Amino acid sequence: MKIFDRLRPAVINGLRELQANKVRSLLSMSGIILGVASLVAMVTVVQGMVGNFRQFVDAMGGIEKIAVDRQSLPKEQEHLAELSEGMTLRDVEQIRATIPLIRNISPEVRVGYEKVVYEGHEAITLILGCTPDYLPVAKRWVDPEQGRFISDLDILHRTDVVVLGSSIAAELFPPNVDPLGKVIRVKGKRFVVVGLLNNIEGSGMQVRSANSKGGSGMWRWRNSGVYIPVSTATAKFTGNDHLTGLGLRIGDANDLQNTVDQLERSLLQMHNGLKDFNISTNEETLESFRKTESAFKLSLGGVAGISLFIGGIGIMNVMLASINERIREIGVRKAVGARGSDLFLQFLAEAAVISVMGGIIGLSVSMGIVWLMNFILIQAIPTQAVATLDWKIMAQGLGFSVIVGLVAGVYPALRAAKLDPIEALRHE
Amino acid sequence: MGSLFTIRGLRKAYHMGDETVHALDGVDLDFERGEYIAILGPSGSGKSTLMHILGFMDQPTEGSIVFEGEEVSSLSADRRAWYRSNRVGFVFQSFNLLPRLTVLENVALTLLYRDDSNRETNEAAAKFALERVGMSHRLDHRPSQLSGGERQRVAIARAIVGNPSIVFADEPTGNLDVKNVDRILDLLGSLLAEGITVVLVTHDLGVAAKARRVISMRAGKVQEDRQQ
Repeated sequence: MKIFDRLRPAVINGLRELQANKVRSLLSMSGIILGVASLVAMVTVVQGMVGNFRQFVDAMGGIEKIAVDRQSLPKEQEHLAELSEGMTLRDVEQIRATIPLIRNISPEVRVGYEKVVYEGHEAITLILGCTPDYLPVAKRWVDPEQGRFISDLDILHRTDVVVLGSSIAAELFPPNVDPLGKVIRVKGKRFVVVGLLNNIEGSGMQVRSANSKGGSGMWRWRNSGVYIPVSTATAKFTGNDHLTGLGLRIGDANDLQNTVDQLERSLLQMHNGLKDFNISTNEETLESFRKTESAFKLSLGGVAGISLFIGGIGIMNVMLASINERIREIGVRKAVGARGSDLFLQFLAEAAVISVMGGIIGLSVSMGIVWLMNFILIQAIPTQAVATLDWKIMAQGLGFSVIVGLVAGVYPALRAAKLDPIEALRHE
Repeated sequence: MGSLFTIRGLRKAYHMGDETVHALDGVDLDFERGEYIAILGPSGSGKSTLMHILGFMDQPTEGSIVFEGEEVSSLSADRRAWYRSNRVGFVFQSFNLLPRLTVLENVALTLLYRDDSNRETNEAAAKFALERVGMSHRLDHRPSQLSGGERQRVAIARAIVGNPSIVFADEPTGNLDVKNVDRILDLLGSLLAEGITVVLVTHDLGVAAKARRVISMRAGKVQEDRQQ
């Protein structure tokens, strides 16, 4: 309570000095303003971007998803190529039977980018052969009023049915036509549309509108797929039983590494030791995002740290100049009974006031920067707000500025405290 | 009337390069409460050094000072600040009011550094002191808006607001015109009625003539100490 009583007049005095030397104070604050603004704005934007990465990873199937892709043999195994027949449905059976950690397994055949036609409307898009397990693995679904997905019966009977992504459906069919039950041609062959896949509206980078033709957005491809039964794909298009990839989902993300190891062993065994496949997980993606994040934070933190350091020097400089101008005032205050500690407190409070004001201005500048960055990013890619200001970061920014101000104020305040009152009063 | 200061064998030496300057060279003095004293002397006589030491701004090299019954010749800086805040008032030749503060705030400054400092009571006391010197109509003015005589009256209010035992006035009329000189000296003289000891430090015989006791100093020694 007592320290507060001593602090109050010191802070009021600091504000007064600030008001009396507006331009000088503003200049001395500029370093702090820039430092706090860059610190808060950059950390906010980086966090926003990383947040989007996370959503992106989630939409890719989350980290419980494992993807197995076909891969050409490594050089030293090239001459053994005949030993492995590549990935087939037999691998799927084997994995299902031997690795209980895997909850869903989705064999996939990429037919490739082919032409699909409905009554003169045509488009070229990716044709994928898959099974009912595609849905849980890819975290997709078909709404009941939008028909159904490929069923086990379709696989068994190699039916000519097709499920469309929302944007390809919008491209092929006029708005007043219900695609369900219509016949389209896929690579020249007739298929009946039985369902429409859910539209992905990633809350980070979304397709602007499901119905806008060729709606832009990074995830457009996620809504433009054409899905047929995997058995139909091999029978009608590829002509062999090779799979191009597997999608797997495990129940618990903690089992990821364990599962990947088992999967690798199992597949190597099935393929006679040939590494003609590649296992990838989203964890690697997430990990690289994390690395990017910490690299960003480190470098931006460095930049902000340097600005704050320079800001501190600016404050120290102004405080020293101010004390030089006010030597007489210091003498008078000492003559009427101020202790060294009173003057130390007064000038420290003045430095703190400058830095807090600088910090507050810096925070408002950072709000402007974040707003501007959001504005620019929304123009560039159709996204919702990339970054939102977090009060924790703002509090940290302000806290940093206060610390800088206090540290910068210590030396000038000590000088003021140590001045000899007689000398100070004689000063012209 | 009790004894205020008992000063014995007071010496103050400054080192300037290789030379040692004896600003005070064995001073013995006694001040009573309520005395009106002028310390007279040319510059370099040691009168300012004496004022600084008796005003708790400086410490003697040697000698004893008993103030209000206590030995005060070697106090810590904080303790001396306490005495300046609670027992002593200063009036300077160049007024030394803080330009950014109002008249009221300048006067209240003396009370700001006390342990029991409180805004309301400080301001009330400052108003009272300003009334005492006839400046209560200028509370919210800045020093720059006042004449020299007015400024010195505010400075006197600042010196007396804390009910000091002694007020030192260092050439208080040096920057004033003739008309104001008498008013200020009369004002200082009127403080005696409140039991305050007033010490004029001056080289001006005319100013010193107002005091009842004149202590003449030369070369760090008391040359003459007479009542008039």
